[in-house]
Amino acid sequence: MAELQRGIMSLRKQTPSDFLKQIIGRPVVVKLNSGVDYRGVLACLDGYMNIAVEQTEEYVNGQLKNKYGDAFLRGNNVLYISTQKRKM
Amino acid sequence: MADEVEQVGVESTFLLMFYVNLCAKHQTTTNTVEEPLDLIRLSLDERIYVKMRNDRELRGRLHAYDQHLNMILGDVEETVTTVEIDEETYEEIYKSTKRNIPMLFVRGDGVVLVAPPLRVG
Repeated sequence: MAELQRGIMSLRKQTPSDFLKQIIGRPVVVKLNSGVDYRGVLACLDGYMNIAVEQTEEYVNGQLKNKYGDAFLRGNNVLYISTQKRKM
Repeated sequence: MADEVEQVGVESTFLLMFYVNLCAKHQTTTNTVEEPLDLIRLSLDERIYVKMRNDRELRGRLHAYDQHLNMILGDVEETVTTVEIDEETYEEIYKSTKRNIPMLFVRGDGVVLVAPPLRVG
């Protein structure tokens, strides 16, 4: 049982910074503490979770604003960063 | 004479290749992914749009910034958006107040988002 758990852990074990390196270039969803949603392609980020996103769209309840080009989000406002399978 | 020239040519080519190789290595190490703050640097002296807490937005020229996102903005227009809810009809009334400020210091902890000015589509 313990071996099984350890096996699963070693498959999944990944530090947050490894995850952050992996997802650069992918479409992501960034949710802020305020509840606002940003969807776009992750350009880069740093250890403070400051984020640069390209082709960003801002969602609150419905679609609000479109931001083309880079958008920079201050890390302290970020609740989570998630990848999204883009359905065109 | 031709032989000497050729010899020097070979050696200096070797040196050149060595130097180029060194430079190439240096370039690959500094070609690491830039931080978001490095990309903000590209917007220096450009007009930007800043979204802030408390439903505030700023449009101005970025003169300076730091790692806290403290910023110096020139020729700024600040927009404060409020929502009033009518007690009877419960409709949401959006109001925005604007003011112009020639030069402004923005404390970084209020900043939510920084972007090039919106092109309303």
